Amino acid sequence: MVGGPMAEAAPTRSAAGRGRAGLRLGVLAYRWAAFTWMLVLAITSHHFRYPAVAWTAIVIAGAWTAWLSITWNRQSMAIRWIDLALSIVLILLSGYVVRTGEVVGDHPFFAASYPVSAVMAFGEATGPSGGLLAGLALSFSLALSRPLNGVAFGDLTASQIQAMVNGFVYYLSAGGAVGLVSIILKRSAAETQEATAQAIKERERAARLSEREALARQIHDSVLQALAMVGKRARELETREAVPGRELGELATMAGDQERALRTLVQREPVEPPSGKSSLRDALEAAGRGAAGAAPSVTCVGPIWLTAGDVEELSAAVRQALENVALHAQATKASVFADEDDGEVVVWVRDDGCGFVYDEERLRREGKMGILKSMKGRIEDLGGAMRITTAPGAGTEVEFRLPVKSEAIP
Amino acid sequence: MSKATPPEAEAGGAERIRVMVVDDHPIWRDGIRSDLENSGCATVVAEASDGGEAIELARESEPEVILMDLQLPTVSGVDAIRQIVEDLPGTRVLVLSASGEEADVLEAVKVGAIGYLLKSSTCGEIVDAVCRVRDGEPVFTPSLAGLVLTEFRRVAGHDPAEPRLTTRENEILKLVAKGYSYREIAEKLFISVKTVQNHVQNILTKLQLRKRYELMRYAIQRGLDRSPE
Repeated sequence: MVGGPMAEAAPTRSAAGRGRAGLRLGVLAYRWAAFTWMLVLAITSHHFRYPAVAWTAIVIAGAWTAWLSITWNRQSMAIRWIDLALSIVLILLSGYVVRTGEVVGDHPFFAASYPVSAVMAFGEATGPSGGLLAGLALSFSLALSRPLNGVAFGDLTASQIQAMVNGFVYYLSAGGAVGLVSIILKRSAAETQEATAQAIKERERAARLSEREALARQIHDSVLQALAMVGKRARELETREAVPGRELGELATMAGDQERALRTLVQREPVEPPSGKSSLRDALEAAGRGAAGAAPSVTCVGPIWLTAGDVEELSAAVRQALENVALHAQATKASVFADEDDGEVVVWVRDDGCGFVYDEERLRREGKMGILKSMKGRIEDLGGAMRITTAPGAGTEVEFRLPVKSEAIP
Repeated sequence: MSKATPPEAEAGGAERIRVMVVDDHPIWRDGIRSDLENSGCATVVAEASDGGEAIELARESEPEVILMDLQLPTVSGVDAIRQIVEDLPGTRVLVLSASGEEADVLEAVKVGAIGYLLKSSTCGEIVDAVCRVRDGEPVFTPSLAGLVLTEFRRVAGHDPAEPRLTTRENEILKLVAKGYSYREIAEKLFISVKTVQNHVQNILTKLQLRKRYELMRYAIQRGLDRSPE
C-alpha cells in the first residue's frame, strides 16, 4: 500500500516522455541523413577554394553528430546553443570555402541541409517560438553566406532570391513545426501525469473506503451479536423472580460498548492523512474506548497529525493515565482533551475523582509511582513535559505537552 | 400517534417544564416521556415523529423545551430547528443525538440549538439538561466544545470582520472540553457560575452570527458571479 504510488509513478512518467524521446530520435535520424547528404555533395559537386578548411569543418560536423548520437538522451540546453552556433559557423564558413559564386549556382549548396537538424533540436527543446528564433538565426547566416561567397545582394537574380527565401522558409518551418509537436507532446505528457496522479489518489481513496467498509462490517457483526445476546439474556431474566443488578449491568455494558463502536463509524467523514502522519485523535479515541470502567469523553481540536511514533507514545501515555484513573481515582467521569496550538500539542487527562497529594516519595512508598514515572519518561523521551495538577478531593489533571517538529506544521 | 396539548389545556402543572419530544422512534419517545414525567419537573406536551410535524406541533403547543433528534424523515432535524427557532424565539431546542455526527451537531447549534447530548446520556443527565436549557443555559458536552473550538480555529485569520472568540471564551471552551462543569470552571477562574454561563451563551451567539455571516458572504459571492443561465 505504501510502496504503491511510488512504484506506480516511475513507469508512467517514462511512458509520458516516450513521445518526446521519439521526436529527439527522429531529429537525430534526420541529422545523420543530412550529414550523409552533405558528405555526398562535398565529394561530388563542389570545388573548394580552401579544401583543408572545408574538410576540417565536415569532419568536425561528423564528430559532433556522432557525439550527439551517443549522448542523445542526456543533453542540456547549453548543448543546444553550441549546436546552433556550430550550424551558423558551418553556413558562414561554407560561403567562404567554396569557389566564388558557387553558393548561388545550379547545384545544391552542400551546407544547407545539415543545420536544419540544429533548428529542429532547438525547437524540440524550447517549443515553437524557440524553434522559429533558431530558424531566423540560420536564415540570417544563409543570407550572409552570399556576400561571404563574393556575391553582392544587389547582384542576386530573382530566382536566386527565391532560392534563398526558400531556404529561410525551410529553416523557419522546421524549427516551428518541431517546436509545436514538442509542446503538444509536453502538454499531453503533463496531462497524462496529472490524470495518473488523480487515478492513484482515487484508488487510495477507494482503498480507504473499503478498509472502512471492512471495519463497518466487523462492527455491524459485533453489534448484531450483542443485540442478539442482549435480547436472549433479557428474555431469560424476564422469567426470573428477582433479577440481580449485576446481570443487568452486564447487559448495559454490552449495549454501551457496541453503541460507542458503532458511533465511531458515523461520527465524521474519514479524512485523508498527510503522508507519514497519523491522527492523534483516532489514537486517543481508541484509547478511550479501551479504557476500563466508565468510558471517558475524548475531545480533540481537529484530527491533529503527528508522526506515527509520536502518536504511539503519546497515546500510550494517555492509556496509562486512564489506567491510573480507573485504579486510584474513584472518579465518576474522566475526559481526554487534545489541542494543537502555537507549535505544541497538549493532551489533558482529567478526572473528577478523589485526587491526591502529589508527593513522589510517598507515592513511591505506596507503590503508586510506577505508572506516573513511566508516563513521564515516555513524554520526556519525545522532548515534551508532563505536569500533574491535583489535590485531595479536587480530582486530577495530567497534562502532556509536546513540541511539534517544524515540518509537521503545514 | 403524535399528539399535542395546547398551552391553555395544561392545568395544574404550571411549574412543570413544558417539553416536546421529536424522534422517529416511538420506543425512544415513550422512554423519554416516562423519564421526564417521573422526574416530576417536566411534562411532555407534544410528540412529533418527523421534522415537518415538529414545526407544526411546536407552533400549536408552544413548548418551552424541545428535545430533538437530528436524523428525521421528511424535514431534517437541522431544518426543523431553523424553522422552530424562527417561529418561537423563546423555545429552547436541545439536540439529543444517537450518532453524534459532528457535521450535523455543529450545524444544529449554528442554526439555534442551545445544547447537545448523546442519547446514551443517563436519565438524570437528560432531565438536568432540560431544566438547564429552560433557563437559557447552554448545555455543552466536551465533544461539542471541541467542535466549536475547531470551527472557530478553522477560518481564523481569514476575515477581520468575522466574529471571533475572546481569550476568556477560548479558555472556558477548553475547560469544558477538558470535562469541567460550569461550577468547576467558575471556581477555577474565580468568577461566578453566572459569568461562565454568560460567556458560553456569548460563544453560541458568535457561532450563530458566523453562520449568518457565512450565508451573507455566500450570497454576495453568488450575486457577483451569477452568470446568465
